[in-house]
Amino acid sequence: MWALAAWLLWRSRVPEDLVLPHLDVRDLFTAVELDRAARYERFARIDWILATAALLVALTIYARRGPGLVRESAAGRIGTGMLLGMLGFGVVWLAQLPFGVAELWWDRRHDVTNQGYAEFLLGNWIGLGVEFLFICLAIVIVMALAGWLRDRWWLLGGPAFVALALLFAFVQPWLVPGLEPLRDPALSARARELARTEGVEGIPVRVEEVGTVTSSPNAWAAGLGPSRKVVLWDTLLDGRFPDDEVAVVLAHEFGHHARHHIWKDVAWYALFALPGAYLIALATRRRGGMFEPTAVPLSLLVLTVLQLAAQPVQNVISRHLEAEADWVALETTHDPDAARGLFTGFSSTALADPSPPTWSYVLLDGHPTLAQRLAMVEAWQDR
Amino acid sequence: MVAVDRHPIRLVVTDGFERSRLTVFFRLLLAIPHLFWLSAWSFGALVVAVVAWVVTLAKGRLPVPLHDFFVQYVRYTTHVYAYVYLAADPYPGFTGAPGYPVDVEIDPPAAQRRWRTALRGLLAFPALLLGSALAGVGPGSGSSSQIAGASAAAFLGWFACLAQGRMPQGFRNLVAYALRYLAQASGYLFFLTDRYPDADPAVDLPGAQPEHPVRLAVAEDLRRSRLTVFFRLLLAFPHLLWVTLWWLAALLAVVASWAATLVRGRSPAALHRFLAAYVRYSTHVSAFLYLVANPFPGFTGAAGSYPLDIEIDPPDRQLRWMVALRPVLAVPALVVSSALGSALGLVGLFGWFAALVTGRMPRGLARLGAFILRYSAQTSAYLCLLTDRYPHSGPEGGEEPALAALEPSLPVAA
Repeated sequence: MWALAAWLLWRSRVPEDLVLPHLDVRDLFTAVELDRAARYERFARIDWILATAALLVALTIYARRGPGLVRESAAGRIGTGMLLGMLGFGVVWLAQLPFGVAELWWDRRHDVTNQGYAEFLLGNWIGLGVEFLFICLAIVIVMALAGWLRDRWWLLGGPAFVALALLFAFVQPWLVPGLEPLRDPALSARARELARTEGVEGIPVRVEEVGTVTSSPNAWAAGLGPSRKVVLWDTLLDGRFPDDEVAVVLAHEFGHHARHHIWKDVAWYALFALPGAYLIALATRRRGGMFEPTAVPLSLLVLTVLQLAAQPVQNVISRHLEAEADWVALETTHDPDAARGLFTGFSSTALADPSPPTWSYVLLDGHPTLAQRLAMVEAWQDR
Repeated sequence: MVAVDRHPIRLVVTDGFERSRLTVFFRLLLAIPHLFWLSAWSFGALVVAVVAWVVTLAKGRLPVPLHDFFVQYVRYTTHVYAYVYLAADPYPGFTGAPGYPVDVEIDPPAAQRRWRTALRGLLAFPALLLGSALAGVGPGSGSSSQIAGASAAAFLGWFACLAQGRMPQGFRNLVAYALRYLAQASGYLFFLTDRYPDADPAVDLPGAQPEHPVRLAVAEDLRRSRLTVFFRLLLAFPHLLWVTLWWLAALLAVVASWAATLVRGRSPAALHRFLAAYVRYSTHVSAFLYLVANPFPGFTGAAGSYPLDIEIDPPDRQLRWMVALRPVLAVPALVVSSALGSALGLVGLFGWFAALVTGRMPRGLARLGAFILRYSAQTSAYLCLLTDRYPHSGPEGGEEPALAALEPSLPVAA
């Protein structure tokens, strides 16, 4: 059943027999670009490794010592679980903070961002508050179900989290403040045409102002049904990318909607949520299961380990969906030159390493590498 | 016999509550000469303070002539503001001589630690800020800087004095407490002592809390977990969200209770229970947020579930005309409650730093916070028709710990 569902979700518009040609990145990028991108990403990777190690150490310590914090609560079983969950996130935040600052320093050094340190910390603080609310909601669900079903809470817990993921996917476009309509009339007309071609007419395009924080270009597609949106960062519209290249981005994002990738994301999540919840229930059984608030610190550690373990698989799925969106964009725009220009430009504007080390690709990359994306352009053109 | 830990600067209140309506009516105008004189004296005190700082740093003790100068200045400031704020009735003298009905008693000069003297300006800053939030005046400024608890009490007391010829006890004591704290903060700034001002509102005030259907019960435990202190504001997020939702429901319940009480002369038991739980819960949340209490509170406002709790008597008969006019009658209490809010904010802020460093909440700040929360709860209870007894704004008698100090936090309920 699980395998059948996975197979159905795996189906793609990218031809199964498509063979990507091998491209030598040295032919596509200058030595200076390659060197700069490699140097930039090397630091980011080391920072990630250290941050992840710190995360695991902090959560391991918290899993051992966190239950002692029960004495800081007068909130009953579920309230105490919420407190321990929030404190766990707080501990994680503290453990990760130095690495976040280091990353910011590195990004500022490479002009990828001009965000200030105070702004970073304040933004992080507010973000942490929102995370606290989410963890509270999750713990209320799990511990309330555990109060009813004890060790079998995961049977309903998994579906409950899927429902929440669905709800979040639906409301997400409305949670981002300050989205502006696309002002450029020519680009707006082009967007409408692309959407019509892909069969997703009527999806609005919005612009998110991030130029004060970062110079990296990006875009995203989100929402389900009436909440669907395509959002371009204003860094894509600052003149560095010609309209044809922006059109490729638009076609790619419309492609996500046309191929129902948001639904598929939720569906993939559903396939992992149930076994994940079961494993958490299993791992916390020695602490009395999720009925007991003292099990919450351990459950955070288990959840993090499971997420890390699942990350390569999640990345495979994400890359698969991104590749399909790239293919849809090529089919829609019929403009391989623009796609080539766009992907080549990412190396200099976002300092993306066109050909990262394999371990980094497996663990960290949710998109195909630039080399793979350029190879797809070649493959499409050859067909 | 003198208590070993008594503060070197103490308040002495010998005032009766009677007031002359004529002098009350013209009080601010009558005080103008004093305010001019106080401004001049304040300027002189600041200049002399620089000399005093150098000398105290060198000798480790404030010389007697300088000590006497500052004693008179602090005493005079107290007299003037006691007069302006209607905490006392007689027109004060211009020399700060002892014997005024609201006075301060100051110990003779004593040895002071030099590092505290060296950093005095910096160390005094939080106390001056709190003093300003309580009394509405900064030492040496001689002018009102913000709406503070004492200012609000004086403003409302003015109307009460004109109507009744008496200053209400609660207002008088609130002003007296603020002036005592201000005197201690000024004394600290001007090297009269190196003992930090004591924010405990009950100290030095005569009398006890009057009986009230809404009471505070405190199991005083000053220990604080640094981890929960560091994240306190964020940890309160779910509670703030929940209390907002609850507030919306409470608003509807109050309207229903108002109509029912107006008809029956007694608030319906179910609505009384619901609104009492709301008042208790919002007090628990504030106590947690402002570090007046330590543990993470529950979400139900259950009675007896939190170390800083509000006890509320069952519904009793209420006068219908008071019920009808409740929103209007509550305005003065709301003004005082809101004026005390800035002091509560400072309790949380200073308490946050202190608890992070020491792992404990300073006792004075905790008790000041408890007093403000008690007043706020009584105001809410009055507004929510849980009682027709007006909130008592005086801190006299203190918020006595109901349980033994340093008792461990409540166990987690199953």
